[in-house]
Amino acid sequence: MSTPLESDIDIWSDEIVVDPYPAYAELREQAGVVHLPKNDLYVLTRYDVIRDALGDPATFSSTTLGFNPMVNEALQGTSLASDPPMHTQLRATLSENLTPRALRGLKVVIDEKAEKLVAELVAAGSFEAIDSLARAFPLEIVADLIGFSGHVKDNMLRWGQAAMQVLGPMNQRTQESFPIAGELYGWCSSVKAEDLTPGSIGRGIFDAEARGDIPEGTAGHIIHQYLGAGVDTTIASIGNIVALFGRHPEQLEIVCENPDLVPAAFAEVLRYWVPIHIWGRTTTREVEIDGYTVPKGAQIGLLIGAGNRDPRHYENPDTFDVRRNPTDHLSFGYGPHGCAGQGLARLEGHAIVSALARQVQSITISEPVRVPSNMTRSIESLRVLEVVAA
Amino acid sequence: MSGRIELDRPRCEGHGLCEEAAPRLMHLDDDGDLVIDVEEVDGADLEAAKAAVRVCPVAALRLVSA
Ligand code: SF4
Repeated sequence: MSTPLESDIDIWSDEIVVDPYPAYAELREQAGVVHLPKNDLYVLTRYDVIRDALGDPATFSSTTLGFNPMVNEALQGTSLASDPPMHTQLRATLSENLTPRALRGLKVVIDEKAEKLVAELVAAGSFEAIDSLARAFPLEIVADLIGFSGHVKDNMLRWGQAAMQVLGPMNQRTQESFPIAGELYGWCSSVKAEDLTPGSIGRGIFDAEARGDIPEGTAGHIIHQYLGAGVDTTIASIGNIVALFGRHPEQLEIVCENPDLVPAAFAEVLRYWVPIHIWGRTTTREVEIDGYTVPKGAQIGLLIGAGNRDPRHYENPDTFDVRRNPTDHLSFGYGPHGCAGQGLARLEGHAIVSALARQVQSITISEPVRVPSNMTRSIESLRVLEVVAA
Repeated sequence: MSGRIELDRPRCEGHGLCEEAAPRLMHLDDDGDLVIDVEEVDGADLEAAKAAVRVCPVAALRLVSA
C-alpha cells in the first residue's frame, strides 16, 4: 500500500467550480483517490470508490460533511451530519413526509403547475429561464409544501443559497454567506406552528413534535434541512434541463416523440451536470482506497460529478444521451444518507421535462452564465431567445 | 448460483426504482409499501434482482447468496 498521489489543483478555485469537468477528468485518471494539499483534502474520483464510500458510513463518517469547522459544529445533531444509529431515527422523521407515498397526492398539482408555467413562457416567445422557471417553480412548490408565506417565502432563495454556500471551505464565499445562513438558522430556531400554513408539511412536523414523536425542539431543525437542501439544488437541476435541451435539440426531440423517456431524461440531466460538486466525509480509521492508504481522521471530498462521468462505469460518459437511463447516477448520493428529498425532486424534474416535451418543439438559448459557488453548480442566468411551440 | 432478496423495511422509502428494475420480483402495493413477490431467485431473475439492489438509492435491498 502506498501514500495517495498528489495534485496541486485547488478544487474551489473560481475557474474549476464554474467548469469542473476537465479537472475531474484529470484527477480521475490519476487515481480513485487523490490528495489535494491546497485544500487539505483527499478527493474520491471514480464511480466505484465514491459509491462504496457512500455505502459505508462506519468508515466514512458524515460528521464533517461540510468543509469548515464552524458549519460542522452547527450541523451537529442533524440527520445530515450524524451516523447510524442516531442517524436512522432522525432520517425517518425527516423523510417521512417526503417519501413517494407521502407525496403521491402532489403529483397532479405539481404537473399542473409545470404545464401552466411552461405554457405562459411559451406564449411569451422568449424569456429568462432561471428567474422565471428554474427559481420560480421549486420556490412555489417548496413554499406551499412546507407552509411558508410572506417574508419567509421572499427570503427562501437567499437563505437556501447561503445554507449550501457555508458548507464550503472558509473562503470569501463562505464568510459572506454565514450572516445570511444565520438569518435562516435564527428563524428556524424560533419558528412556531402558527407561522406555517395550516395543513402544510411544516405544520405536520410541529404536530409530530407536540405528540412526542420527535424530540422537543427538533421541528425547526427539520424545516431548516428541507429548505437548506431542497431549494438551491432543485433550481440548479431545472436550469440545467433548459440549458441542455437548448444545447442538444435532437435530445429534446427524442423525448417529445417518446414521453416514456421523461424519467430517463431527468436522470441523465442529473448525471451529466451534477447539481452538487462535492460532499464531505471523514475517515474513522486508516483505510485502503484503490490501493492507496488514507489516514484516519482525513477529510474526504466525494467528487460526485467525477464519478458520474467515469468511463469505467458509463459508456461515452461525456455524451448527453436521454436514452441512457442512468438510474444509478450518484447525484442524489447513495445509501443511508441518500437524498431524502429525491422523491420530490423527481416529481418536480419530471413535471418540467414533460411540460417542455409536450409544449416545446425547440428552443434557442444564449450561453448560460455561471457564477462560482462552493457546493452547488447552477446557472445564474439563461436567456431563451426563441421558442418554437409544439 | 442462486440468491435470496432481503429488504431492510425501515430503510425502504418506497422510491420504487427496484420495481422498475425487476417488475417480476417485486412491486409497490396500493399503500406504496414494497412487496417482494419472489424472494428466492436464480437465472435471469438473479440478474434482475442484482439490478434492483443496485438502483435502490437508499441501499434497502440486499442479495444473499443461497
Ligand atoms: S428502490 Fe429501495 S427504497 Fe425504493 S422501494 Fe425499492 S427498496 Fe424501497
